[in-house]
Amino acid sequence: MPLAYSLPSNLSPATVTNTSSLLRIIALSLISGAAIASRLFAVINFESIIHEFDPWFNYRATRVLAEKGFYEFWNWFDPTAWYPLGRVVGGTIYPGLMATSGVIYNVLHALHLPVDIRNICVLLAPGFSALTAWSTYMFTKEMKDESAGLLAAAFIGIAPGYISRSVAGSYDNEAIAIFLLMFTFYCWIKALKTGSAFFGTLTALFYFYMVAAWGGYAFITNMIPLHALALVLMGRFSSRLYVAYSSWYAIGTLASMQVPFVGFQPVRTSEHMAALGVFGLLQIVAFAELVRAHVSSKQFQSILYGSVIAIAVLGALAFGGLTYKGWIAPWTGRFYSLWDTGYAKKYIPIIASVSEHQPTAWPSFFMDLQFLIFLFPAGVVLCFRELRDEHVFVIIYAVVASYFAGVMVRLMLTLTPVVCVAAAVAFSSLLDTYLDPAEPAVSEAAALSAEADIAADSPASTSAAGTGAAASGTSKKAKKAASADSSSSGFGSGLAAAFSNKSDKSRGIFGLDTRSLVIANALGMLLFFVLHCTYVTQHIIDDFREAYYWLRQNTPKDAVVMSWWDYGYQIAGMADRPTLVDNNTWNNTHIATVGKAMSSSEEVAYPILRKHDVDYVLVIFGGLIGYSGDDINKFLWMVRIAQGVWPDEIQEPNYFTQKGEYRIDDAAPPAMKNSLMYKMSYYRFADLFGGNQAIDRVRGQQVPKTGPTLDHLEEAFTSENWIVRIYQVKKEDPLGRDLKSANAFEQGKKRKKSKPLVRRKAVV
Amino acid sequence: MLLLPILALLSIPFCIAASAQSAHEKLVKLAASNNGVIKLDENTYNLITSPNRNWSASIHFTALDPRRRCAPCKEFDPAFNAVAKAWTKVPVEDRDSHFFATVDFDNAMGVFQKLGLQTAPVVHIHPATEGPHRPASGRTTPIIYDFANGFDAGPLAEQLSQFTPVPIPYKTPINWPRIGTTVGVLLIIASGIRAFLPVLRSRWVWAAGIVLTSLVMTSGFMFVRIRGMPPSGANGQWIAAGFQNQFGQEVHAVAFIYGLLAASFLMLTLITPYQTNPSRQRLQVYLWSAVILVMFSVLVSLFRVKNRGYPFKLLL
Repeated sequence: MPLAYSLPSNLSPATVTNTSSLLRIIALSLISGAAIASRLFAVINFESIIHEFDPWFNYRATRVLAEKGFYEFWNWFDPTAWYPLGRVVGGTIYPGLMATSGVIYNVLHALHLPVDIRNICVLLAPGFSALTAWSTYMFTKEMKDESAGLLAAAFIGIAPGYISRSVAGSYDNEAIAIFLLMFTFYCWIKALKTGSAFFGTLTALFYFYMVAAWGGYAFITNMIPLHALALVLMGRFSSRLYVAYSSWYAIGTLASMQVPFVGFQPVRTSEHMAALGVFGLLQIVAFAELVRAHVSSKQFQSILYGSVIAIAVLGALAFGGLTYKGWIAPWTGRFYSLWDTGYAKKYIPIIASVSEHQPTAWPSFFMDLQFLIFLFPAGVVLCFRELRDEHVFVIIYAVVASYFAGVMVRLMLTLTPVVCVAAAVAFSSLLDTYLDPAEPAVSEAAALSAEADIAADSPASTSAAGTGAAASGTSKKAKKAASADSSSSGFGSGLAAAFSNKSDKSRGIFGLDTRSLVIANALGMLLFFVLHCTYVTQHIIDDFREAYYWLRQNTPKDAVVMSWWDYGYQIAGMADRPTLVDNNTWNNTHIATVGKAMSSSEEVAYPILRKHDVDYVLVIFGGLIGYSGDDINKFLWMVRIAQGVWPDEIQEPNYFTQKGEYRIDDAAPPAMKNSLMYKMSYYRFADLFGGNQAIDRVRGQQVPKTGPTLDHLEEAFTSENWIVRIYQVKKEDPLGRDLKSANAFEQGKKRKKSKPLVRRKAVV
Repeated sequence: MLLLPILALLSIPFCIAASAQSAHEKLVKLAASNNGVIKLDENTYNLITSPNRNWSASIHFTALDPRRRCAPCKEFDPAFNAVAKAWTKVPVEDRDSHFFATVDFDNAMGVFQKLGLQTAPVVHIHPATEGPHRPASGRTTPIIYDFANGFDAGPLAEQLSQFTPVPIPYKTPINWPRIGTTVGVLLIIASGIRAFLPVLRSRWVWAAGIVLTSLVMTSGFMFVRIRGMPPSGANGQWIAAGFQNQFGQEVHAVAFIYGLLAASFLMLTLITPYQTNPSRQRLQVYLWSAVILVMFSVLVSLFRVKNRGYPFKLLL
């Protein structure tokens, strides 16, 4: 066989294997290093600190765990959250993350390495991202081969879709969850391939770990049954499947019920019903197989029909009865909101108001996955070409995850691994094809026709018919070969050959230029991807840190801070100040109180603030730099939630213009302009533009030149990019005036009342 | 001398009471004559919203005349009537303390002018000002119904129930035609299962379906659906400004680009190697590589439109 370029031929096969495995290990460790390093920008730029919202709460919980032990942690009551109500923590969280850090902390201390618990928390996410890369490698290796695995590991190591949730300091459940997800899936594929109960049990154990760590475990709970069901429907039921699934389900479910926050949900709620149903189905199918092996086929037919109908009726009746009695399947709000986000908007505004529960526009996909996003469908097609049991899994995962990622920005995280796997399969197939030095034999027909073309000096018009005609002059044997070859060179038949996964004898690439072109193109794309990822990772805004540091340094320790609940944990953890509401949204009325204060006028809001002992009010404002997740964009949710509790006082339509638009410029309705939120966001904003027209970069609207005035609050702090603005609530006027007139007096304004004037005139 | 005026003064409350009494009876009669919905003109509007009323009222402003071209009015009208009809089934003493009324623009332009209404449909809820149903908050100014939940009768009944003495017993009617079509389609599929089976068993049918689904989903289809984005913006622009925003047409464009890029990779990987003629194979390799490069550049430039700060670009 001709070669496009020569390979050294004096190497023993053993040397090749050893070298390649050494290279694999080096590559994997380099990938792990890159994955960790690319997540450390924040630590290097600033300091080892935990940022964002939820992580602070997790960190405080972990500190309790590390300092006081597990039982103390279990019974921990946090008085600073939900001031003045407080919160029971133990039973309302997934403890997996804290337990992990706690274990690492104790192991390190047992080895006499006195590492601070904070550093463990900060570096946990980057550390686990290296493990994610490794488990993705293992998973992809099962799909194709080691080289695809290495590519997948590299992709997931630096893909922004995953980095954004696992940078150093982002101490959140997702940080370890993606590793657990991929490793559970790897164990499942391994269990299915080998039919080993050992791997099935391993799947169950990692499933348990996942349940303890992240609410998204329901994704695994449904992916594995879906895969098993698809295999049964495809007629691929086997004892391997039976063993793998049964061992996973039985052990995994029992284990998951040990997590207090989950409790009896696995046998009651709808999210878990699919797993139970498929478990039952597999038992029936297995039993049917057993019976089939023992009775004649005709008897078997009648038994099968009878039992299928009986079981279907019984199952439906039982399910209906249990639902009716209320023992199972209270279809939870979260579940509905996945399928129909309109549902959430109507019935549970609190879920729909979270910016993470918004649907995803295409730029987010491209930003998070760049060129992987269009390699992904190609990889799925390649999976269809092979279609072994494990490829079915990737296919189902692909379609399910892409749907959910489209519905909810947050679930981009679950899409990222499968995109990396599929893209790696596609990319490595391309590289395999074009790196292979073997050149196929030029078909005689093609060679002949090429000669004919040269002779005729005409452009290559070598249709299949033409080659056939050219070949007709040669001997019979040659003609036969030519027709066979021409059939494989025609486009339609080429397609058939490509997709039918036949022998690759006539497959290959001619020449070196074609090879180098494709490889250069591919390497260019990889390089671009790396640049893209670096660019995305570097852009972290630091206003939050600045503002919370200010709070910590400049306010008394017991100063109560009011903000929208998204920032509750962060203020509690980073600024160490009590908050009114935080990210655990269990008390709707309390949140509505904050919503009411934010959406009413100063005069109405002031008594509310005073009654709740609020000293500072914090708002997030993105109008200056175009940070779209700010409070003005969330404002309608505050109004809506407040309206749910005080329909008489707060009405959403009042915050829209007559035409039903959401405006913040001159045309803004009075309710909007007078609301505390609007005033605090745009207070002195127009001054920043020095007489020019002030523009809100998020809404793209012109802000009125004379901005709002504040009487009951005063500006205490505004961060560099104006993202965080903090206001101090004034105390009551010592002279007993209302604050508005006191303010007017201080500014030297005369009272507007006309009565004294009239009296003076009368005197004159 | 003073006796007469005093007597007259004393009798005023009775007169008002009497007139209120008669007004109430009149409204009850009007409501009963038209399925629970009172058709208002300017006079009856003033009557139903008279400042001392011991009843509450939901008043629906609309413009049903075809000349007014108010599509939402037509959409909302049946919902309002259905809720009003449901209200007639309430026991009499409760029923007569809340009225449903409709003001059509062409019958009562004066009312629209007086209220400064420029759009329709609008629903005002007037609480009672006296009597046992006076709201505890003392608020008697009209409340404007919030159409955020659409024009359906269900949410309307639910929200109005907060202002009626007893909840409105509205039940969504069973949609028989829809159930019928679903059952019909299922039956057709069941009977034609033999014909469909080869199609269902073909892996490439499934591949096409799944790849198309994931292409469309990763192009922001759900965003357009959930947010109800229009296919294109005003004045013909089809790219929505802003990173977290997009129009319907962008889904097509982006899905097409993704699809073409994926197809080019598949061509290079699967089809081209089977080409046994070197020159044609070379042509294909160059062609598909060029397609990848150009389409990727197009994609990146499209992304730069959405994300202005993005520093990279390829050919374009």
